[in-house]
Amino acid sequence: MDVIAVLVKASLNPDVIRVEPDGSIDVKSIPLKISDIDRNAVEEAVRLKQKLGWKLIAVSVATWGPISARMKDLKLAVQEALAKGVDEAIVVADDSITPGDQLTTAHAIKTALEREGVRPKLILAGEATIDEVSSQVPGRLAALLGYNYISFARRLEVEGGKVIAERDLEDYVEVVEAPLPAVVSVTQEINDPRPPTLLQIRRAARKPVKTVTSSELGGLEKPRRRILEVRGIQVKRKQVILEGDSLEEIAEKLIEALVKEGVLRL
Amino acid sequence: MKVLGVAYEPRDAGELLRAASSLNAEFHILAAGRAAENAEEVSKYASKAYILKTKSPYSIFKAVESLVKQEGYKLVIGEGYRNLRDALSRVAGSLNMPMATDAYSLEVSGESVVVVRGFLSERARMKVEVPLPAIVLFTQRFTEPAEPLGHGSIVELKPEEGPERVVEVKPKAVGEVNLEEAEIIVGVGRGFRSKEDLKLAFELAELLGGQVGCTRPIAADLKWLSEDRWIGISGKRVSPKLYIAVGISGSPQHMSGVQNARIIVAVNKDKSAPIFKQADYGVVADLYQFLPVLIRKLREKLGR
Ligand SMILES: Cc1cc2nc3c(=O)[nH]c(=O)nc-3n(C[C@H](O)[C@H](O)[C@H](O)COP(=O)(O)OP(=O)(O)OC[C@H]3O[C@@H](n4cnc5c(N)ncnc54)[C@H](O)[C@@H]3O)c2cc1C
Ligand SMILES: Nc1ncnc2c1ncn2[C@@H]1O[C@H](COP(=O)(O)O)[C@@H](O)[C@H]1O
Repeated sequence: MDVIAVLVKASLNPDVIRVEPDGSIDVKSIPLKISDIDRNAVEEAVRLKQKLGWKLIAVSVATWGPISARMKDLKLAVQEALAKGVDEAIVVADDSITPGDQLTTAHAIKTALEREGVRPKLILAGEATIDEVSSQVPGRLAALLGYNYISFARRLEVEGGKVIAERDLEDYVEVVEAPLPAVVSVTQEINDPRPPTLLQIRRAARKPVKTVTSSELGGLEKPRRRILEVRGIQVKRKQVILEGDSLEEIAEKLIEALVKEGVLRL
Repeated sequence: MKVLGVAYEPRDAGELLRAASSLNAEFHILAAGRAAENAEEVSKYASKAYILKTKSPYSIFKAVESLVKQEGYKLVIGEGYRNLRDALSRVAGSLNMPMATDAYSLEVSGESVVVVRGFLSERARMKVEVPLPAIVLFTQRFTEPAEPLGHGSIVELKPEEGPERVVEVKPKAVGEVNLEEAEIIVGVGRGFRSKEDLKLAFELAELLGGQVGCTRPIAADLKWLSEDRWIGISGKRVSPKLYIAVGISGSPQHMSGVQNARIIVAVNKDKSAPIFKQADYGVVADLYQFLPVLIRKLREKLGR
């Protein structure tokens, strides 16, 4: 049976970071969540799976360790994909490749697919993750597998052994066609992903999730990137909530404050 | 050491030269995209300029891949345009090179490169070290262009055709506003219920002598405004004196674009919206009730 793979990352959640008094950030203190645009990729993959009648698998590589502390968040990200209609999932989790880099991640995805004997016709990914925002993993993977690559797709169709996509660039949009097999990265605008229903979530608990380590995969490329330092960008804002008995009063106070700040001249 | 800069817009050439000039390296440029349309200009910024007349990420990928293999470039630098992220991520995959994106600065130390880059949707900076050969993509307009060097040699390359076929190209509307120059910006978000309703924000902006900017969904998804008004990590980074965010929740991806605003005002009906923690002055109110009052008060005071 033909297979679609969708790449799902449990990313550091930038909404809940804690900056230490010295300005540093300990990434171990940041919880993980499914990267926003991977939700769009999953939604699109499920739509195509239903249309084409192919099998849909998710692949996720643990980037942030330690694995023992991260397993719950990793599972949750994958569970969401399964609940949305993914049939099964492969999770690569090994402390020897955390904290991972994009080189490691792309290699691990390729190796996991090969070890499982899966050669997807189509691989969907997000345009960028919420922690790294690098837009790197899908292109690397396409090059490693020798697949065609279509990036930043805001519309996608699969027809007659081809992908037809609308690529969204800075100053123009282009419609491109490329033969399968292909890797496609999708933008946030491609669809409007809905959260899974409770019933979907319950059913997903029975779907197969295979967690594999580096040695089970016959060894993986080690990360080459060394993180020397992570520092938070301090937002020092006044955070004054203007209150009053009426909107008129609040508007007066706002105008007064802006004049005093020297950003409004009357 | 040999460094290859990949220019996509003409002004990239000078910026990439500045980044390379502190490295004591031999610097060459590959000009693609719009940068390839002006070979003479680009060639002023390197001892050698390869001209590749294409925007195709496949063709750029193949050209850079073979230059790195044949000429032994240790470092490839560029700026983070979508087509370059595409092309160079494929080079990185094919040649097994580390790659850092969203870089603000770069230093070479021995056989490795140290990069400071955006991280956590621009809420943080990450300092990383990767071994050479490597690829580094800077954030757009990360520095001022260097002075031209004189004239380098020009070598025209023939783009290698890829397996994909471009069926149609649709240009986007450009040049409507210049948010980077604006002193006051009224930002609109999904709190607005229709395109029609944005006139409230335009009225306020006009009264203040400012411009209207927006969040990504307003431009990219709903298409109520052109994309040159889109502020944030994947849009414009602006630095007005005053930013008034109306009906905007305050996602890190949006707020990173207004980090340099001097004063931020937030109008949101949800008192627990994250934007209030990132604003100087907050008004918890329905924008449909508050904006008309604010506009009326300003009109009274301004006598307009
Ligand atoms: C990789 C990546 C890159 C991204 N890049 C960008 C980017 O460059 N720029 C960007 O903006 N976003 C970007 N996003 C999207 C971002 O995550 C948010 O989804 C987006 O910024 C939300 O836009 P919003 O605030 O308009 O909408 P929402 O988050 O839906 O917020 C709407 C707000 O309006 C308020 N509201 C509703 N009705 C009213 C009313 N009547 N009166 C007052 N308030 C009201 C609500 O309380 C809510 O807080 C990116 C996302 C990712 C993952
Ligand atoms: N660790 C990972 N596991 C699975 N997929 C990933 C991983 N990292 C990145 N991806 C995929 O690649 C896309 C782009 O990621 P990035 O290159 O980090 O911006 C993401 O949206 C995912 O679809």
